[in-house]
Amino acid sequence: MTADLTQLFEQHYGSLVRMLYRRTGDRDRAEDLAQETFARAVAAPPNNPRPWLFAVALNLVREEGRRALRQGRRLELLRADEPKSQSPDEEFDRNERSASVRAALATLNDRDREALLLKAEGFNYDEIAATLGLSKGAIGTTLARARRRLVEAYRSDGRGKNAAS
Amino acid sequence: MPHLDEGTLHALLDGELDLTEVSEVQLHLGTCVACGSRLQEVKQVMAEADRLVAAVEPPAASPQPKPEPPRNQPPPRRTENSGNWEPAPLLLVPEDLEAQARRNRWARRVRWAAALAGVLVAGRVITSSMSPSHLELSERDLTAPSRPVPPPVVSPEESRRAEAPVVAQRGKPTRLSSPTRSAQIHKAAPKAEALKVEESTEPLADTASPDAQAGFAAAAAEDTVTAQDSQPLASQDTSDSTKKLELAAADERSRREDELATRRAAAQALAELDRERLRQRANAATAALPPVRSEPQPAAAESAPAPRTLEQRSQIYLRIGLDEAVKQLGGPAHVIEGMTPQFIGLIRGQQLPGANPRRPAVRVVYLDSRGRMILLDQQRVDSGATPGAEGNLRWTIGDVMVYLRGEPGPEVLRNLQARVR
Repeated sequence: MTADLTQLFEQHYGSLVRMLYRRTGDRDRAEDLAQETFARAVAAPPNNPRPWLFAVALNLVREEGRRALRQGRRLELLRADEPKSQSPDEEFDRNERSASVRAALATLNDRDREALLLKAEGFNYDEIAATLGLSKGAIGTTLARARRRLVEAYRSDGRGKNAAS
Repeated sequence: MPHLDEGTLHALLDGELDLTEVSEVQLHLGTCVACGSRLQEVKQVMAEADRLVAAVEPPAASPQPKPEPPRNQPPPRRTENSGNWEPAPLLLVPEDLEAQARRNRWARRVRWAAALAGVLVAGRVITSSMSPSHLELSERDLTAPSRPVPPPVVSPEESRRAEAPVVAQRGKPTRLSSPTRSAQIHKAAPKAEALKVEESTEPLADTASPDAQAGFAAAAAEDTVTAQDSQPLASQDTSDSTKKLELAAADERSRREDELATRRAAAQALAELDRERLRQRANAATAALPPVRSEPQPAAAESAPAPRTLEQRSQIYLRIGLDEAVKQLGGPAHVIEGMTPQFIGLIRGQQLPGANPRRPAVRVVYLDSRGRMILLDQQRVDSGATPGAEGNLRWTIGDVMVYLRGEPGPEVLRNLQARVR
């Protein structure tokens, strides 16, 4: 069991943190949630681990979001201590672009956003359907809508910025 | 067949349709221009969406040990400041300077005391082993009771050799029982004479009985006394004092050398101690630092080359869209009817014969149902220029030179040539 869990951790931890980061925009939260997800996997070992892990992680995100809303605080944390491996201009552009994409992602509804993020982690339609509790036939449409809206939101955001500047 | 919905196009491009569905969709795409253009749009949207999502990467974690998977209990929650699961760094607190100075003073005193004690002990040992621990024979009153002197290590044979001169000096043929005294007396006697006596008596002494041995010893002693009496007493005193001086000088020299060696050893030990302490501090300091970021190993990359992608195989240097292809060709791009291009790109250095070499060639890349690559190259021919010779799979459509080639055989390519529009 321990060996299986270790293998599971090595295989999916990075992907899970990346997906959670894209979902939450906060690396610390993403890591916390990933740890919490694996802790739950220890308590109840899943049969189909990958969809299970991502489904639990996304549920945790939603729970956390609801709790934050109830408490009247919604924090969008941006880490300021990212390693400065690039030049300041490149770093600025990267952060700018990342923030714009996150803003565009935030305009999608939960289902579209999560389907898109799972696809980006290499999930096939069956796995996305299993993770989100949808039928496989609906995934193509969901992804089509998600992608189109993301691109539109990003472009409109860019236009808005250009117009503002 | 109705037009394809967007979800189906996405599923097609995501590779989620089964073979039957794919063939149906391709059949429709071959006949429906509207769906073909929508497919191109969907491709662009997909590519852009993927690029956008990929742009949101978590900040690269600083070099750190990988986080451990949770054991059979919930993982420890991290503190506010610990961004990762690295172990708590060592806290290096500066020591109290006064305490450190006190410790240093104390250690220095102890070292000096130890060095001094070592010198004294060494001097005592050398003195006791090299200087005579008794009065010289000339000054000694043999009638006085002798002080108990610890017996030096002397072989019985030496003791026997020394007995004879002593007895002869005292003029009493009694044997001296103490081997120490025998040895001391033996030292004091003139060596040359004593050796003579030893040489003459040794064979007999070894073989004779104790009584006979005593007799031989007495006789030998008489000979020695006779020889000693012939030397002047003054010369014996001079040689004794010279020996004393030599012994004292040697003792002093050895003491100095010993002291020097002890100091040298103490200095070396001190330096080693300092080095060890510096090493420990350096280790403690470096243990708190994050580990060095592991660089990607070029050798490993070379040993395991990534499989070539279709893009690499097709040798295009820039992927372009339909609009750009139209711009390059000065008109619509030509495609194979009923086939969906994988992508369109520009190629360099492979201009078609007769085409304008200043313009890059447009390459439309296809894959057939068996995964073989098919290339449809197109390049604009300047007006007025003579197009190159047309070949089997090379021909001109309007102002564009077209060349069809690929991995399938010529028969398949000729069939496809008829479908180029």
